[in-house]
Amino acid sequence: MNVTIKTVKDITVIEAEGSIDSRTASEFEKNTVEATQEEDKVIIDLTKVEFLSSAGLRVLLMLYRQVKARNGKIVLVGVSEEIQDVMENTGFINFFILAELLEDGVNALS
Amino acid sequence: MESRTFPGTVDSIDQIRHYIMEISQAAGLGKKPTYNLMLAADEIATNIILYGYQEANQEGDIDVIHSLTDTELTVIFEDTATPFDPLQRELPDEEDLTKPLEERSIGGLGIFLTVQGVDEFSYEYVENRNRNIFKMYVVSSE
Repeated sequence: MNVTIKTVKDITVIEAEGSIDSRTASEFEKNTVEATQEEDKVIIDLTKVEFLSSAGLRVLLMLYRQVKARNGKIVLVGVSEEIQDVMENTGFINFFILAELLEDGVNALS
Repeated sequence: MESRTFPGTVDSIDQIRHYIMEISQAAGLGKKPTYNLMLAADEIATNIILYGYQEANQEGDIDVIHSLTDTELTVIFEDTATPFDPLQRELPDEEDLTKPLEERSIGGLGIFLTVQGVDEFSYEYVENRNRNIFKMYVVSSE
């Protein structure tokens, strides 16, 4: 998988690509935890993520805790229907703001 | 009954997932059931490889066996690690799953997703092998 980090306005945007599974989750975690260390507005763009296992959910959980501790917000962009189902079944979905497109995510945090 | 063997190493995880996708598509499963079976396979393969083999300093394979009837697709993972029944693990219940994420313990989610994502999941230990059995009902396209 690939992770690209950029800033749009004052928002940290993490763009992931590929599969987030037990093999790649630690890399995803390392990149995202570093990038969101001091941030309270975070977008995770999952448009190009076709697969997310419980190892990926675990990273989302940690990011959520880290950003929430500063009263920040995380927006997930472009989450596939299948991944949304998994997030719903596990009760994760209510804790994140979901947006279809990056610009919607940016608007939600502006 | 077809069988394919994957070495019990982390590099096999996405290969197994890919193979499961091929099997599911060949069986005519829809997009969501295909994803759910891939997810279940990923979670169980991960457990076998990381805990059954790696953590125990054991080497071994995962045999992925599948068969298709008019009504169901059956996929069986066989491994030679120490007996481990995923269903003996305590799964998160309704209360756990509605807790705020700040208070969550994250254990058991993978097996929860496995059990929930497939139509039937079972486990048996036969002839010194763990057998994790996944079944997906096949809906005829008439």
